[in-house]
Amino acid sequence: MENSLFSKPRDLFLDVVNPRDYVQIDSVSHMYQSLKNSVQKPLKMILLFGKPGTGKSMLLHKLHHDLSKHQKVLMFDIPIVDEDDFLRVLAQRIFGHSPREVMTLTRFLEIAEAVSYPDVPIVLLDEAQLYSSSLMEKIRLISDARAIKFVITLHKTDKEDVIAKEHFQTRIWESIELQNASAEELKVYIQKKLLKANCFDVANMFNDKNMKLITSLTKGNYRDTNKLLFSLFSLYYWYEENHPTLIKYNALKSKWIEMAAIHTGLIRA
Amino acid sequence: MLNIRDLERRWLKYKIKSYAPYLGAVFTILLVSLIAFYNSLSSTVANEEINLPLTENSSEIKANNTETVTILEPSMDFVQSFQTTIPETQIATAPAPQRALPPQQSIPVPKVLNIPSSTSIKAPPPAISPLSGDKSLSLNRNESKLDIESVERRFKETSNPNLGLFIARYHYDHGNYSEAYNFSLKTNSMNSKIDESWIIFAKSLVKLGRVEQAKKTLHLYISESNSESARSLLDSIEQGTFK
Ligand SMILES: Nc1ncnc2c1ncn2[C@@H]1O[C@H](COP(=O)(O)OP(=O)(O)O)[C@@H](O)[C@H]1O
Ligand SMILES: [Mg+2]
Repeated sequence: MENSLFSKPRDLFLDVVNPRDYVQIDSVSHMYQSLKNSVQKPLKMILLFGKPGTGKSMLLHKLHHDLSKHQKVLMFDIPIVDEDDFLRVLAQRIFGHSPREVMTLTRFLEIAEAVSYPDVPIVLLDEAQLYSSSLMEKIRLISDARAIKFVITLHKTDKEDVIAKEHFQTRIWESIELQNASAEELKVYIQKKLLKANCFDVANMFNDKNMKLITSLTKGNYRDTNKLLFSLFSLYYWYEENHPTLIKYNALKSKWIEMAAIHTGLIRA
Repeated sequence: MLNIRDLERRWLKYKIKSYAPYLGAVFTILLVSLIAFYNSLSSTVANEEINLPLTENSSEIKANNTETVTILEPSMDFVQSFQTTIPETQIATAPAPQRALPPQQSIPVPKVLNIPSSTSIKAPPPAISPLSGDKSLSLNRNESKLDIESVERRFKETSNPNLGLFIARYHYDHGNYSEAYNFSLKTNSMNSKIDESWIIFAKSLVKLGRVEQAKKTLHLYISESNSESARSLLDSIEQGTFK
């Protein structure tokens, strides 16, 4: 269906991270500001942590997008877990050095010292819980030597909490914790996303009762909200094609929200 | 990709499952009260049976009997008081919005709001922006809300009635009734068939203390549209139950 009312809102909630889709939400903008401030400080390392789906990757991508206008900044959104590869890629992409020899940490630091930038280059590492602890230790030493400033994101689960403690708590590195959205913030998130894409009619359909249900199903998690709304609008799309008379345009149907939640696994049934 | 039939089936199962505890609770309550009822019956019977042979102390028996009967009384009282508290709370909540009205009346009245006999509506107070010097603070405050001004600007450019409805609804939800009035009015003039816009329009009028005009508007709208929701709003305004 070409002129479906629901295909555009559906695609808005695909779970992809693109800094251009960043929406300003009170607490998130606050975090982002303090993240940007931290990057300007002579700190060595900054840790962004929080549960999956709280917007860590989004914030990191936004930072990359904004910083790359002014300075050397490199983003690894998929971890390079091999230690030798990791150092090689850094040496090449940051310091323009393509070595033939085996890349040790000492060699890497020598290369780094030979090149001087006005600002310490910044490297952003997403999903840092995937790095081995020995590679994390090297990363720490590189930042200690002020060769590179790292901003890393880390999932906060029980296991990673330990890593976080071991690697970061004892050092004087800044850490920023991201959290799920409050009910009010989630509403702002959804409305802003829809309005940005000119989906007024659909934005009008969200009433307070709908928002309450959505918040209680997703607990304010952005990823879960995306998934829920993606399948909700897929559902609406289907009804629009097959049973358009069932659609009410003044509010979302709780039943369909719950069906979408069943489809995404937020409700076990 | 989506198997709607299967989802509907799973949804029904889920609903039944989620209501099951309530049904169970209702059932057990019924069962327990039934048992309690039988117990109380049989215990009075038992009392009588036991006390019957002691015919000499008949005055004592009577006292005993009345005692067992009075045991039931407090629970009746409870039920009665329970029934009477319901209307009481309704009475208690009903006047609340009226008490809240005076501050709402002092909302700045925009030009579109053209009210001839508005003695109760005061002139707009001076713009409150003592914080405007503190940039960071006002910035944060804007971010926490939807950027409604930019939406309003877009409404001006596009004249999309759905956008107007969105803004009207936003203002109504935030207690800006005169703004809600204005935007629903504009929306109605662009598309006079949007139920909700008329509803917001009438509700805003009530909130602004112009009940008669709200009723008149609703009557007119109902005669044109036969709208159910408008009718029920009118009923609740006339009965004074509109909050
Ligand atoms: N501020 C934001 N603006 C727009 N989308 C966001 C924002 N925060 C999170 N999201 C969306 O929520 C989803 C989950 O966020 P993500 O950054 O991947 O979480 P995490 O990395 O913490 O697991 C992504 O699809 C992302 O686009
Ligand atoms: Mg991520």
